[in-house]
Amino acid sequence: MINELVVTGIFQGLILAFVAYGVMIPFRLLNFPDLTAEGAYPLGGAVCASLLIGGINPIFAMFIAVFVSGMVGVCTAIIHLKFKVNTLLAGIILSIMVYSVNLRIMGKPNIALFDIENIFSNYSGILIIVCIISLLVTPFTLYLSTEKGLRFRAVGLNPEFAKRQNISVSKYTIFGMFIASGFSGLAGSLMVQMQSYMDINMGVGIVIHALAALMIGESITGTNTLNKQLLAPLVGALVYQQMQGLALNLGLAPSDLKFVTGAIVLTVIALRVRK
Amino acid sequence: MLKVDNLSKTFPGNFSATVKNINFELEEGEFCIVIGSNGSGKSTLLKCILGDYNLDAGSISKHNVASVIQDINKGTIPEMTCLENVILSRMRNRSANLRFYHKQEVEIISELKELGLGLESYINKPLIEMSGGQRQVIATMMAITSNPEVLLLDEHTSALDPKTQNLLMEYTIEKIKQQNLTTIMVTHKLEEAVRYGNRLIMLHQGQIILDVKDKDKNKLTADDLFQLFHDCEVSHD
Repeated sequence: MINELVVTGIFQGLILAFVAYGVMIPFRLLNFPDLTAEGAYPLGGAVCASLLIGGINPIFAMFIAVFVSGMVGVCTAIIHLKFKVNTLLAGIILSIMVYSVNLRIMGKPNIALFDIENIFSNYSGILIIVCIISLLVTPFTLYLSTEKGLRFRAVGLNPEFAKRQNISVSKYTIFGMFIASGFSGLAGSLMVQMQSYMDINMGVGIVIHALAALMIGESITGTNTLNKQLLAPLVGALVYQQMQGLALNLGLAPSDLKFVTGAIVLTVIALRVRK
Repeated sequence: MLKVDNLSKTFPGNFSATVKNINFELEEGEFCIVIGSNGSGKSTLLKCILGDYNLDAGSISKHNVASVIQDINKGTIPEMTCLENVILSRMRNRSANLRFYHKQEVEIISELKELGLGLESYINKPLIEMSGGQRQVIATMMAITSNPEVLLLDEHTSALDPKTQNLLMEYTIEKIKQQNLTTIMVTHKLEEAVRYGNRLIMLHQGQIILDVKDKDKNKLTADDLFQLFHDCEVSHD
């Protein structure tokens, strides 16, 4: 029973890691506080579930889901850059709008995918997700070590300086938001395949879970180098999910987990302040 | 190379100095010193040239401009390493590639050695770990070696001890001559204003009250300039 909880925790933790990356990239690299993940995550799930029902290949369905979710991030960035709407507000507005879009895409509030082949049908789920993380996070890490990646980071750290160096702040912000929301959408598409079920309320509170994971990860790895910053979402998501599993194992009801999440976030913040 | 045409810029609430009807043109290789009392509009003029502000009136035509501004936190990225800051400034006039930037480390170390201040050992350390003076030296080096056509220096030696001030000034002047850079240098030191450059502009309450070059500039002494400052203050009172 405990082993099963640990394995499920690792599985879910790895999926949550993508959302944690989707939150870390705007928050930490672009200095663009953002809640778009709240909309991009269920959108990725909705698109993937609908395509799987329609008989589309799971990998292709995930590609489409990632692209569509990424475009929500692009919209958030454009709304902020062109109309000067606060980044958090832009993300919330988009997330609310995406809720209606998800219902349109799905045609009903939930979709069962029990008899439909998905990416986890033939291979170990954890192995597949580890491969996907390696295939996406490694190139992103390498990208940040290139000249273009250096410019990307400069935009978040000092946009005024970046403009003086002829760096297009808009271009890199839009690109970063596409990547971040794409990560969140990918997590959504993986989650619906893992649980063989898509529900319209799937994304509620996902940003808080991801933030909790990110903060735990940053407390463990530190943030004084870029590599540590990039490792934090993965480590944090794995630890956070195990903490949730432990709470369940201690006899707490699943409905109590939101309280546990909030308590974890507050504890991590309090510990940081005391440092 | 640089033409400022009828430039005006005001700020609501007058928290920053305004500039009014500024006109001047710099030829290639011209080295212009800008002086003026606090709040006379020197930094505002430079920021207008840099494109930091939307102009109220007038226009500025310029070529590839590099700058060292007073606020070192805004003029660099303190969280990034010395190497990363230098590379960012060098990419200003070209598109960035997907190649690893660390490959340029050897070249930049040798240029830091040329400064003779031992800064090469900081190459992979964040600027935030360096002293204000060291960061100012790096910022100057970033601007000068980024292959600009116009160089703007806003009191770039102000945070340094006298020895480093001299060293950095010598380095700056040598590079300006070597690269035939069109330069604007803002300074509060009248000795520097007299010693360097072939043109001098003095600002008072956002307007040019003195614009001299070559022989006329060479005739000026620090005492003349001091007297001008004094006269301005008297007339202002």
